[in-house]
Amino acid sequence: MGLIKKLPAYAEKFPGGGFVTTSVETILHQGQAKSLWYLLFGTACCAIELMCTGASRYDFDRLGMIFRATPRQADLIICAGTITKKMAPRLRRLYDQMAEPRYVIAMGGCTINGGPFYYDSYSVEKGIDHIIPVDIYIPGCPPRPESLMEGCIHLQEKIKKQKLLDWQEK
Amino acid sequence: MRELHTEEFIVNMGPQHPSTHGVCRLVLTMDGEKIVKIEPVIGYLHRAIEKVMENRTYMQCIPMMDRIEYVTSMSCEYVFSLAAERIAEMVIPERAEYLRVIMLELNRIASHLLFYGVTAMDIGALTPFLYGFRERELIVDLFEMTCGQRLTYNYIRIGGVSRDIPNGFEQKCRKALEIISKKLSDYEGLLNENPIWLKRTKGVAILPKELAIAYGVSGPNLRASGIQYDLRRNDPYSIYDRFDFEIPVRYNGDCFDRYLLRLDEIKQSIRIITQALDGLPEGDIKNKKSRQTFKAPAGETYARIENSRGELGVYLISDGGKKPLRVKTRGASFNHVQVLPHFGTDMLIADLVANFATLDIIMPEVDR
Amino acid sequence: MTRDELKAYIAERYSDFLKPLETGKYDPLYEVDVTKLVEVAHALKEDENLKFDFLCNLGGVDTGKHFEAVYNIASITNNLRLDFKVIMPYDQAEVESLQEIWPAINWYEREMWELYGINVKNHDNLTRFLLPEDWDQGYPMRKDWDAPDFKRKPEL
Repeated sequence: MGLIKKLPAYAEKFPGGGFVTTSVETILHQGQAKSLWYLLFGTACCAIELMCTGASRYDFDRLGMIFRATPRQADLIICAGTITKKMAPRLRRLYDQMAEPRYVIAMGGCTINGGPFYYDSYSVEKGIDHIIPVDIYIPGCPPRPESLMEGCIHLQEKIKKQKLLDWQEK
Repeated sequence: MRELHTEEFIVNMGPQHPSTHGVCRLVLTMDGEKIVKIEPVIGYLHRAIEKVMENRTYMQCIPMMDRIEYVTSMSCEYVFSLAAERIAEMVIPERAEYLRVIMLELNRIASHLLFYGVTAMDIGALTPFLYGFRERELIVDLFEMTCGQRLTYNYIRIGGVSRDIPNGFEQKCRKALEIISKKLSDYEGLLNENPIWLKRTKGVAILPKELAIAYGVSGPNLRASGIQYDLRRNDPYSIYDRFDFEIPVRYNGDCFDRYLLRLDEIKQSIRIITQALDGLPEGDIKNKKSRQTFKAPAGETYARIENSRGELGVYLISDGGKKPLRVKTRGASFNHVQVLPHFGTDMLIADLVANFATLDIIMPEVDR
Repeated sequence: MTRDELKAYIAERYSDFLKPLETGKYDPLYEVDVTKLVEVAHALKEDENLKFDFLCNLGGVDTGKHFEAVYNIASITNNLRLDFKVIMPYDQAEVESLQEIWPAINWYEREMWELYGINVKNHDNLTRFLLPEDWDQGYPMRKDWDAPDFKRKPEL
């Protein structure tokens, strides 16, 4: 990505240079948004709904999403299920192992703020945004497969709005 | 010839792994390709549900019990209601009992279909995953028709059930059961005589009878080792003594028998549901005392039922107030993970994956 | 044997070890003295007519006044079920380990020690396994436990 990162700085100087930047952005977006490969990370109840979304009736493969077993090969982590204080360092380690560009979807009430375990639980991490930066939140306990697919479509829209200049700052 | 110097090394099958069901970490000590020692490390899903339930009223405890074993949530709600009803000595109306039996057995079929799909995927076959989940969607549709939810139902109440079945449930249920009976022969034809499946599961990881009883193994894992013990027959709860069904048993105790036994159990569950639908009476669906401010008298009891994984139990202590004093839950998978190091060594890692898959372990039951 | 026959058999043979308690509903519930725990467990397992070989559950309880340890056992060969408990004051919370009699009880005793602080003598591996490795805030299931980030549900 080295040459592409320097592209806006050089191309914007010429008249019509913005045209080159936006064409490159369109091609990159098609590649990134339409084939997000997600890491299998299901902890608790939401994992069953994640499996159902990947199965026959609600198919994830029509959005181009397929599961991968290791974080090095994935660019999306769908965090489905409660994260406890014992599991939190492992989640951070998995996120650090993913290559950029990487995205996070927080699925279910437990990952947003602790869900039904907000009161009276001594070992639940109340929300995963203390640990990793989150792009999309999907509420529900557990959310229906249709909600999860709408969340993924929102993520695709969000990716299409990114500019090359954002990558320069990262 | 000089002797080659070998030493053992440690491999970590970490909490995030495609084939540990949930978050279980296994620390394996290996000698080349063979496993010498397994040490399970659990606790990655300890959510303190028992502490939460000490500060909720009895009706608010029902959705918390759902999350203890979410694949068969109806059984978890039922065992808590059974314990509270035994303390309060409540009489349940007939229609409520029949509806409860129908829901429990439908949940058992859904759980075994999920087992079929996920086990086949772990061992390497991807097609049964799609077949199993396609049939499971038929049953989940029935649950959604009745109580609005697909996974954690909040349906069974202390004293009955929360709402009646809608019109059209009975036809849809019979149609679904007919489709599942026909497809079962497809599932058996796909895997039962496949030479790769037989090589991977026949004769692998035999669980002896004495070890199973000593470590508290129950459910299909115990029945696959030759002991015919099923709580629906040995200590009947609800109205199971009115139905005519068999308890399947197999005698080898290896992975193949554990897989075949669960397919046999689906056929017996279909028999029970058909008999229940035929004999469903009219009447109330709730006892008159079942309401939001339910208070149990002082007392304690241990209620146990036959879940699709084994014996699910709840020890409930009540001191006469509107919140329970102590709820201790016992899940079958806790004992199964404990017995794994004692019979799962001296094999390859691929055999360990097949073994772990056919034991049908769900992690929230272990950690609670 | 039915439940009533079991109660009569135990009242006849073991009445000085097992005292019946009225609060137990459905299955018979007994109280056992802490010092006689191992003897009672051996007797229940080896008696010809009983043969309790299956341990179902072991749970710790904090009633606000004392600790209790509740054992639930069953017999697969004779189809029987029984519960018994041990009552201990707060400053003497210790039980003997029963892992030679019922090997399944190993992890249950570990959990009871970890969450309540009830010590188990002669246990071979009393280490932490449900809570995080660097947990230093005491025994969480006790009624008087508190921590800075622990929120209790407010009464409405």
